[in-house]
Amino acid sequence: MLHCTEEPGMYSAHCGIIIMNFCHLQHKAQVPGGVHWTSSCRPAPLLTASPVCALIDDKISIRGHFLPPRCPVTVCAQMQSDDGDLWEAFAHFNTNLDGTVNLTRDPSVGGSYLGCEPMGLLWGLQPAPGAREGLRLRKKKVETPYVMLMSLLKGHVSPSERPSTELAAVTAERWYMAPGVRRIEIRQKGVVGTLFLPPGPGPFPAMLDLWGMGGGLVEYRSALFASRGYASFSLAYIGHKDLPGPQNRINVGDPYFKSAFQLLQDHPQVYPDRIGIIGLSFGVYLTLRLANHSDIKPSCLICINGPAGSTIKLRDADDRTEQMENDQKYWTYDDQGNVSFRAVSLPANLSPESKVKLEHLTCPLMYIVGEDDLSASSIENANLIEETLSATGKSQLFTRLSYPGAGHLIEPPYTPNSRVSLWSVKPQKLATLWGGHLAPHAAAQEDSWKKILEFMETNLRH
Amino acid sequence: MDMKQHCVKLSVQPSRGLVDEKFTVLVQNLLPGFQLTIHALHQCEDGHSWEAFAHYTANATSIVNVSQDPSLGGTYSGVEPMGLLWSLRPVPGSKTGLRLRKMNVQTPMGVTISVYQGHQKEGFLDQVLLASVVVERWYMAPGVRRVPITEGRLTATLFLPSGPGPFPGLLDLWGWGGKLVEYRAALLASHGIASMALDYLTPKETGRMVDNDYFETAYRVLEQHPQILGSRIAMLGLSFGAGVTLRMAVYSKGLKLSCAVCINGSHVQPIDGPLEQIMTYFNKNVEKTRFDEDNQLICRDLMLPIPTDPSLKVDVGRLQCPLLLVVGEDDQNWPTYESAMDMREMMERAGNSHLLTVLSYKNAGHLIQPPFTPFTRASTFKSVTIPPFTMMALWGGELVAHSRAQEDAWRKTLVFLRENLYGDMKPGALFSNL
Repeated sequence: MLHCTEEPGMYSAHCGIIIMNFCHLQHKAQVPGGVHWTSSCRPAPLLTASPVCALIDDKISIRGHFLPPRCPVTVCAQMQSDDGDLWEAFAHFNTNLDGTVNLTRDPSVGGSYLGCEPMGLLWGLQPAPGAREGLRLRKKKVETPYVMLMSLLKGHVSPSERPSTELAAVTAERWYMAPGVRRIEIRQKGVVGTLFLPPGPGPFPAMLDLWGMGGGLVEYRSALFASRGYASFSLAYIGHKDLPGPQNRINVGDPYFKSAFQLLQDHPQVYPDRIGIIGLSFGVYLTLRLANHSDIKPSCLICINGPAGSTIKLRDADDRTEQMENDQKYWTYDDQGNVSFRAVSLPANLSPESKVKLEHLTCPLMYIVGEDDLSASSIENANLIEETLSATGKSQLFTRLSYPGAGHLIEPPYTPNSRVSLWSVKPQKLATLWGGHLAPHAAAQEDSWKKILEFMETNLRH
Repeated sequence: MDMKQHCVKLSVQPSRGLVDEKFTVLVQNLLPGFQLTIHALHQCEDGHSWEAFAHYTANATSIVNVSQDPSLGGTYSGVEPMGLLWSLRPVPGSKTGLRLRKMNVQTPMGVTISVYQGHQKEGFLDQVLLASVVVERWYMAPGVRRVPITEGRLTATLFLPSGPGPFPGLLDLWGWGGKLVEYRAALLASHGIASMALDYLTPKETGRMVDNDYFETAYRVLEQHPQILGSRIAMLGLSFGAGVTLRMAVYSKGLKLSCAVCINGSHVQPIDGPLEQIMTYFNKNVEKTRFDEDNQLICRDLMLPIPTDPSLKVDVGRLQCPLLLVVGEDDQNWPTYESAMDMREMMERAGNSHLLTVLSYKNAGHLIQPPFTPFTRASTFKSVTIPPFTMMALWGGELVAHSRAQEDAWRKTLVFLRENLYGDMKPGALFSNL
């Protein structure tokens, strides 16, 4: 937790919390008789959030109290990303007869979202005006929380009208890591990743966690799985300094992914026969490919918006990776010049020999589709996988979740979706279309996460 | 019946919370009829370990929910959602007379909650541990600011809530033990009240006890703070601090309190002369203290019988602000109940009893603290008198009744404070998340 120790009236920079209103502290006029210039004889209303230190996938209840009845107020949320960008959301309400506003009960009549959405201020966060272009909110440092400053403003205003209308504020923390979760950097047998272990004696069921071509090490989903009782291993395979070869290519092949799975199996606090694999985007292909090996027996697979085959060839043994196919011919552009990679993964465009032979599958497979996915042909690949499994009498292993209006980046809930963001495609960054409309994408994240945890529960614990 | 670790799922929601927030402890994927022990372990700042445990048997739904299912035995029994906290007690082999108090409020209280197979009573470290989680309990909410105060000769810490304010203010006083005890003020600030924990007993350079002007200085610091509303300041005191609160509320010209809360204290004190006189008065009556069969000191008779001489009691008939009295009827340290009854009588006679609210709890003892604080019936106590003395003080109270009293009194204290400090509100608007 971040707490300030400071002199009254000063702002302590080491706290790392942006509390802009403290720069505008109302200093007392030393008027004879000690009358305050604010001339109000009532304290400011109260804004509360509960729980005040929650996990990212916990709902929070936000309420305003001691307000006049039936009056317009704005609740606004601000959060700083690990890169220092400011994200904000706001919603307009009219207080109740009893002078309260309750985001679990009351509809927003304007702002970042409309209607009754208890978590709307979280998934509705957008880069603040003046922010850099093409941002996407992703937590790099999972050992610290997001610090959310929520404010209650007078009237139906926008956040830029703080501090002049600010009535009350509350700070809440949002964590990916529960207390007691352990984060362990793994650099073993050439495998590069981060392992998260839940608190407790173990052994634990586990997940191997795979992301897309953006590369690096994405830890937050694993951290959250560990906070929910599963050991989870985020694996890097491209774009990481500790991996061999140039960072813009995949320089590892099947042996690498098998090593990673075996590393997890061999870990003293992991149940070797209760390991699942989750993949997003290109991670889906890697998930299916890994599960296809006869000596790798995962308990379940979760595939989110990714292809069943590839346009690039992975290393099998000692061969160098083939140069990435020039799949730019499949790229399309919208009228703003944003690029969509969707067509790259159309089954017809995937190299036939890369398509994973699913007839060897022995464990349940859940495929999650964002129907507005503009980065991958998720619907078509889901169909392909379903058809393949049906053809070999394994359709009972297949579950599909399909979400209208949801885009490519279906992630843990209550985090904002970026329909477009600047994404690294060497040699330059491109404004990349992911798809997804704010509210339906948020609903998809919430529902799919719940179902992912239930699926893991069924297949890894029972 | 053997339970596989991979099945058993233990969760505590929320895993991080304020000390007065309730949590839900859930154990899932059990086999029906499975016997388990849920165990809580906390290592406090001075290195002592505290534990609580309860026995459960999974029913047909294969779930144990501590908020809904009864404990069949342990440090608490029956359905007790928060029993794992308030029934914490020193582990076997600990020294006697311990009391659990958090002095550093900037770190959380960490509690490890575990599930063991079978109905265990002891030797937990050697048992089969099925699952374990860590829970953090905080006195300070995120965004609450801790501000050491150095003005005047004050030994104090101010806790400011998150936000622009202005906030109502509060002076928070403890009792004979002295030291700067911050946790209650930190928690009050987490509920929107700018609170100053004030140490008024630890001997200073002067070698003399403080007097009224000390409290008036503290009040002024609150009143003049840019984020505190000077017209909405309350005072809250426990034990001797309650007596000081009453004294200031009635006699001090410099203090204009919106309301006062007195927990387990008394109005009995010599009102003429400085605060030091109270010490002299108690010393004169010290032979009235007695020891019980366990050699624990009972001090309540020091002030009994309640005097009729008006110079020996704060004239609460002159009180002009609402007063909340919290009474542990089994208080063995102060004659709280008798004092409360006498105060009520004085106020009825004076015509200001509409200002008085009394919360009286049967079988609750002296140390009525924020909810879920582990109960201590007696503990080692070192007073700040000159010379100081250490003894085993009997506080009184019975585990379950006292724990219920802490929960109920805190909720009602917050309502009382908000009613009087935020003001002009209909009862329906008052918020309680406890």
